[in-house]
Amino acid sequence: MSVKKRIIMAKMGLDAHDNGLRIVSKWCADAGYEVIYAGVYNSAERILQMTIEEDADAVGLSFLGGEHIHYSKKLLELFKAHGLENVKLFTGGIIPPADVAILKNMGVDAVFTPGSRRDEILSGINSCFEKRGKGS
Amino acid sequence: MADSPKIEFDHTEGEKIPHFKSLSGYEYKRIYTDEDWDKTIPDAGEYPFTRGIHKDMYRGRLWTRRQQSGFGSPEESNELIKFLFKVGQTGINIDSDIAGKIGLDPDYPLAQADVGLQGTSMCTYEDMVALFKDVPLDKVSSTLIFPPPYSVIFMGQYMMMAKAQGIPYENLIGTMMNCPFTQLVGPTFQANTDFFPIDLAMKIGLDLIEYLVRVAPKWNVLNVNSRNIRESGVDAVQEAAFALSLGADYVNGLCKRGINVDTFAPRIGFFSAVHLDIFEEVAKFRAMRRIWARLLKERFGAANEKSMLFRCAVQTSSITLTAQEPLNNVVRAAIQTLTAILSGVQSVHTTSYDEAYCLPSEETHKLAIRTQQIIAYETGATKSVDPLGGSYLVEKTTDEMEERIWELMKEIERRGGFVECFKAGWVENELNQARYKLADQIESAELPIIGMNMFRGEEKAAEIKIFTQAPDMQAKRIEYAISYKKNPNRGAVKKALDNLADRVKKHPDKDLVVPILEATEAKATLQEISDAMREALGWSIPG
Repeated sequence: MSVKKRIIMAKMGLDAHDNGLRIVSKWCADAGYEVIYAGVYNSAERILQMTIEEDADAVGLSFLGGEHIHYSKKLLELFKAHGLENVKLFTGGIIPPADVAILKNMGVDAVFTPGSRRDEILSGINSCFEKRGKGS
Repeated sequence: MADSPKIEFDHTEGEKIPHFKSLSGYEYKRIYTDEDWDKTIPDAGEYPFTRGIHKDMYRGRLWTRRQQSGFGSPEESNELIKFLFKVGQTGINIDSDIAGKIGLDPDYPLAQADVGLQGTSMCTYEDMVALFKDVPLDKVSSTLIFPPPYSVIFMGQYMMMAKAQGIPYENLIGTMMNCPFTQLVGPTFQANTDFFPIDLAMKIGLDLIEYLVRVAPKWNVLNVNSRNIRESGVDAVQEAAFALSLGADYVNGLCKRGINVDTFAPRIGFFSAVHLDIFEEVAKFRAMRRIWARLLKERFGAANEKSMLFRCAVQTSSITLTAQEPLNNVVRAAIQTLTAILSGVQSVHTTSYDEAYCLPSEETHKLAIRTQQIIAYETGATKSVDPLGGSYLVEKTTDEMEERIWELMKEIERRGGFVECFKAGWVENELNQARYKLADQIESAELPIIGMNMFRGEEKAAEIKIFTQAPDMQAKRIEYAISYKKNPNRGAVKKALDNLADRVKKHPDKDLVVPILEATEAKATLQEISDAMREALGWSIPG
């Protein structure tokens, strides 16, 4: 990476279980990404605004309580409406198997479920950046 | 089968575990003898209660089977409570959704997508009534998982319900958790401080304790959630030291108000995790009983022995469960449940094996209760008190744990106590360091997890039934909250809210329980009451 890719890491809505978010944020930072830690209790609108202000290359969202489809869909719609289709979106956390495909079909670039190892997650994120934008 | 790979095992080397350290880093010795421990210890039911808080323990009465439950609407959750009792649950553990725990109604924009997902959606008196339909409030004990200031609102609804049923407050049995530091996801800073100022939350919690010990003497007024502390990634020593230090801060705060320690201390409890390191966990509980008893007697001058009892509910650890081969979690939960019983705890929630995927289904809830019943009735583990007492290993480890817990408690005290450590960010830093360490231990398999970092099978997702919510549940709850607040016959609400706001603005140092209860009785909703206080303080919340 010549210029550090900038990743916003966040939890959406009211769930504040942040073990995974903290750990993956550190792994990303250690691997050379620039992590913008947005913490918990975010709305999709807030993450959109941060993405624009921070000129972020990707957003990573961590879920636990079953709100993953709602917020991923909403954020992708906002990205599209603001011409940010090239911003990568990856999600992780407690996501039932059937929902993994739903998320990928709606345009989430990578989905990491419990038990994913550090190298799997980092190579998954790396390969998001190698793919072309969703719009192209 | 011709292309099967060769079996990879070498009997000449044998199979060895990677190390002999406990989960908290304590080195287990090859063998323990009377050189490690040669003391005698007092009977169960005798100070300092190492061997149990009751003389007869489970011979006198089994522990309470108290599964945390709740999802969707109050009506659906009431059906679940009835189902759980049918299969043998003996106490209720009400878990609201997150909105309920942070003072939001279902129609608040940021709350909408989470309505009813992790617990019951609750915001009105009528919700409380629907949730407890057909539950005899003076016969069945209920734990209500709410932090202050919201604990006051839900306690108010609960008492209104009792009053309507003709049950005097002094007959109510149960617990209001009432701790603003540990109730959401452990003592993480942002989660517990964004929706209400933490100092005032704690102060209102103490107000509620003062109020409840007067009007509902059988009711438990505070429960420190040591489990959420542990589940954020810290070890057994940190869990115990954090929880006991926080407990001491509460006792100290109440004593400073001039209240006699023996009026409230018997009504304080703890809720701990049970992890997988059997002997370290048993030692942890035995050490916690000893430390709490000594704190109450020696530091706070308690005279009533009931004030010194470390009464403890537990839930088996979720952080130990895996999404890989989820049936392995049945085994983990069973071992942890047995460990809890060998430790002499007062109530147990056995975590369901599907937790790495979803909320428990009826089927997995039932299996969790059956796990407890098998241990209670089939194994004999309940027939003698403190069955591991006197074991050189367990006694030595108890002494060692006690020493390490005290040491960390002293450090916390030097830093001003747990509450100060929380506010200064010291706790947050400890949690994060623990999480990074835990992640490293999992990555390196220093912490072996079968089916995940050891003996991992094919990478196919598990095929288990996934609990699903009714598709229109959230929309219905949002609509309910909106129309409830539109009801024109709510003249008393505004007056009560204005009165509360006025009190919060001018006299936040005086009792706030009564004005919150008045607003609750006027049938203001959870968020209406919470917002009245927030606005009076000029406190804005995430939106």
